[in-house]
Amino acid sequence: MLQVLVLGLMNGGIYAIFALGVVLVYRGTGVLTFAHGEIGTIALYFAYFLVAKVGLPWSIGALGAIALAALLGGAFEFLFVRRMVNADPVSTVVLTVGFGLFLLAAEFFFFGASPRNLEPPTKHYFFVIDNVVVRPWQVAALVLALVLGFGLQSALRRSDFGLGILAAAQDPAAVRLVGVPLSRVTLTVWSVGAGLSGLAALLVEPSVGVIAPGYASELFVIGLAAAVVGGLTSLPGAFVGGVVLGIAQSASSRYLGSFGVSGLQYIVVLTILLVVLLGRAYAPEVRRRLATPHAGAPSTTTAGAAA
Amino acid sequence: MTDTPLLEVHDITAGFGAVTVLHGVSFEVPRGSIAGIFGLNGAGKSVTMKCLAGVVPTRSGSVLFDGEDVTRMSPERRVARGMGHVPQGRQVFPDLTVEENLRLGAYTLRRRNRSRYQAALDGVFDRFPVLRDRRTQKAGTMSGGQQASLAVGRALINEPQLILVDEPSAGLSPVATLELDAVLQEVAKTGVTMVLVEQNIAFGLSLVDTAHLMQTGTVVHSGPVAELDDQTLATHLGIGRVLQAAAGSALAARQAPRPKEKARARRTA
Repeated sequence: MLQVLVLGLMNGGIYAIFALGVVLVYRGTGVLTFAHGEIGTIALYFAYFLVAKVGLPWSIGALGAIALAALLGGAFEFLFVRRMVNADPVSTVVLTVGFGLFLLAAEFFFFGASPRNLEPPTKHYFFVIDNVVVRPWQVAALVLALVLGFGLQSALRRSDFGLGILAAAQDPAAVRLVGVPLSRVTLTVWSVGAGLSGLAALLVEPSVGVIAPGYASELFVIGLAAAVVGGLTSLPGAFVGGVVLGIAQSASSRYLGSFGVSGLQYIVVLTILLVVLLGRAYAPEVRRRLATPHAGAPSTTTAGAAA
Repeated sequence: MTDTPLLEVHDITAGFGAVTVLHGVSFEVPRGSIAGIFGLNGAGKSVTMKCLAGVVPTRSGSVLFDGEDVTRMSPERRVARGMGHVPQGRQVFPDLTVEENLRLGAYTLRRRNRSRYQAALDGVFDRFPVLRDRRTQKAGTMSGGQQASLAVGRALINEPQLILVDEPSAGLSPVATLELDAVLQEVAKTGVTMVLVEQNIAFGLSLVDTAHLMQTGTVVHSGPVAELDDQTLATHLGIGRVLQAAAGSALAARQAPRPKEKARARRTA
C-alpha cells in the first residue's frame, strides 16, 4: 500500500509539473497546448548534447535545457500564437499539435531514432521506503510541484504583472484596456509553461533512463489529463490532478498488473478522466435534483390540480 | 496647448475583412467636456470607440490625443498616455477582489509613480465607499450597480485625462442603471473629459454636453445637446428614439424599461 503511494507520488509530481505548464498557458491565453511534451523532449536532447557531447556538467546541461524549453515556448508564441489572436482558439490548438510534430521530426533529424542516455547528476544518493528506491530528483519533482501548485497563484497576486496574468485568463481584452501589455503576458506564460515542461522532462529522465524521440509526450498526455482533472484553470488543481493520476496509475499496475494486459494503467487514467468530465457535466443537474426533491419526477399532482 | 481639443478624430475609416464599417468619422472633444456618440445599431458607435481605444485598427485617417498622433499606438500605451476605459458590459475581473481590480486599474500609474497609488486608491474609496467596504470581496459576486462603480473606479484610479465609456447601461437592470447614472454624474462633476457611447438615448443625453449622431459609419450631426431638437433626432435616429428621448428629458430619472426600448429600436430599424 505504502509502496503504491510512494511510487504514485513520485510519478504524480512529474505529471503535476507538466499539468502546471498546461494550466498556466490555458489560464493566460485560453489555448490548450499539445506541444509542450515535445518541447520537453527536445530540451532533454539539448541537455544530452551539452553533457555527453560538449562535456559540460549536468547542472549546466539542465539549465541549458530549461532555457531552451522556455525559449522555444516564447518563440512559438512570438512567431505564431501572437498572429492568431483573432483566430478561433481551436485553430491555435491545432497549431500547437503541428509544432509538436515539427519538434518530433527535428529530434529524429538531429539525434536519430536510437535511444540516448543522459547520465544523472548523482547515482549514489538514494533512500528506500517500503522497498521502493527513492532518488533525490524524484523528491525534488514532488516538492517543486507542491510549491508551484500552491504557491504560484499567491506569488502572482503579489506583483502587478502577475495580477495581469491572472486577469488575462478572465478577460484578455479588458486587460489591455487597463494598460497591461497583453503580448508580454502571453509571451511570459508560454515561456514559463514550456520551461516547466523542460523541467519535468529533466526530472523524470533519470527514472526512465533513456531519451528517445517523442519520449516526454507520453508522460505529457497524462499531465494534460491531470490538468483537466484539476479543472484546467486551477494551479492547485493541477497538482492534485497529477498526484491522483500518479497514484491511480501505480495502484493499477500493482493490483491489476497480473492480468498481463499492457497499457492497462493508461486505461485506468483515461477512465478517471472520463468520470471526472462526466461528473462535472452532470454535477449541476444532480445538485439541482438533490436540492429540490422530486423535481425530476413528473408532477402529476400539480398537473391534476391545475386541470 | 490647452486650447487644442484633447481628442481629435480626423476622417477615420475602419472595418473587418471586406466590410468597411466606418466611412470617414471626424469629431473633436474639447478638454473638460463630455461627448456622446449616439446612433442606431450598426451605425458604427462601438467600432469608433474601439478605434479610439486602439483595439480595432484604423485603415486611414488619424486620432490625435493631447496633440499626439496615437493612430498606430497599442491600447496599453494609450492607457499609459492618459486614456481610461469603462468597457462595454462593465467588464470587471470577476475572480479578482475589488482591491485587486483597482490595483490593475492603476497598472500604469504604479509604474509611473508608485507613491501616488495609495492616495489614488483612497480617492476612489472616498468616491465609492461601497468599494472600501467590499475591498476583499471577489468582484464577480457584487451586484450590477456595484460592479459598475468598480469599473468606473478602476478607470479613475489611473488619473486619466480622458475616459471612454462604452455602452455603460447595456445589460444593467433599471435600478443598476440609475445607480450608474448617479456615478457618472458624479464623475462628470470632477471636470474629467469623457466620451460616452450609449444606446439608451435618454440616459446618454442627460450626461453629455455635445452629441455626435452617427448613421451608417459617419457622423451626420454634431452639436451641443442644448441645441438638439426633436426634428434632428428624428431625422437621424428614427422617431422611436425621439419618443424615448422626450420621455427621458422630461424625467431623466425615470427611464423606460429596457425591453420596451429594444422593441422600439427594432420597429424603427
